[in-house]
Amino acid sequence: MTAGMLSSLLEDTLDPAYAEAAARRGDSADAPRSRRLPLVIGGLLVLGLILGMAYADTRAAAPSSERTRQALLADVQRDSTRSAELQARLEELRATVAEALDDALATTEEGRQQTERVRQLESATGVLAVEGPGLVVTLSDAAPEETVDPISGETIQLVPEAGLVLDIDLQAVVNALWAAGAEAISVDGQRLAPTSSIRTAGEAILVDFRPVSSPYLVEAVGNPDLLVPRFAGSQTAARYDAYRQLYGIGFELTQAEQLSLAPATDYDLRYADTATPAPGVGTK
Amino acid sequence: MIPAFALVLGIALGLFVDPTVPLWLQPYLPIAVVAALDSVFGGIRARLDGIFDAKVFVVSFVSNVLVAALVVFLGDQLGVGGQLSTAVVVVLGIRIFGNAAAIRRHVFHA
Repeated sequence: MTAGMLSSLLEDTLDPAYAEAAARRGDSADAPRSRRLPLVIGGLLVLGLILGMAYADTRAAAPSSERTRQALLADVQRDSTRSAELQARLEELRATVAEALDDALATTEEGRQQTERVRQLESATGVLAVEGPGLVVTLSDAAPEETVDPISGETIQLVPEAGLVLDIDLQAVVNALWAAGAEAISVDGQRLAPTSSIRTAGEAILVDFRPVSSPYLVEAVGNPDLLVPRFAGSQTAARYDAYRQLYGIGFELTQAEQLSLAPATDYDLRYADTATPAPGVGTK
Repeated sequence: MIPAFALVLGIALGLFVDPTVPLWLQPYLPIAVVAALDSVFGGIRARLDGIFDAKVFVVSFVSNVLVAALVVFLGDQLGVGGQLSTAVVVVLGIRIFGNAAAIRRHVFHA
């Protein structure tokens, strides 16, 4: 755009057609004006209609989108509260069942042995809460950097893509911990059962369909004398140590004297059935 | 006076009769509004300058709205709709300001 165009844009704000029409008409301006009054009225009516419609449209659209958002928010909050309540109730009932089972079995020696066995299996499969010494691995996204958003042009804080912890990173660390001899593992408080999944959905990482977020705390219970050196010496640990230096992701090992891991939330077997039912022992 | 009533009546009709805007028209409504406002201010200024002409007013109003909508439509098809909308709003916005300043000079002599 040249300077001439800019200045004409700024100075000639009135449509030149008005001046031309006036010049054509000469001085006898009054006669045609009254004849064309309906034209002006019609034009202004349409014009007002556009303004009114636009206002009504905007006013109708804004609150409806806000209402939808609020309703969705309320739904999500109500349902997650309900889910937490049901979860608590479930754990309570499981404790009651376990207690009743113990009472029923405690009368005989064989029963006590079975109880002991069930306890062990339940701890190993994540049905029961466990505690013990172990290792805490903390994985976290790299520090956000200032970048310019390509769409809005605003400066935003964004974690560079190479510095994001992905589901495969958590999977690798968890697998390395199992390999190093961990007996129970939880990710951000989500205890892992044999059927647990760690996967990405959109931008979130879900552990057993519950979202976890950076920093990811991977707690593993196991013999610290074996677990810590084995994990620290593993290829996985070496790889994430390299990622820490290269991409700035957080990767930290802490030995813990006492960890307590909650029971897993979802370990239902839908297809697998016990092959030869142990006599007198209902596992669940 | 009567034209002013027509304008108010039009606004009232749009507000209270609440004609539903077809979905395909909705993206062009904001641009049409800016073009319409430009025509109003241009018309008032021409009136104060003593060179108002009904035909020029109506034709410029209709063509402004159509051209603005067409530019945005083309932009939408070519993936630059947002930028072209901005361009239309900037150009018409400058004209509205210029005309409003001219009206102010006429009314307040300042």
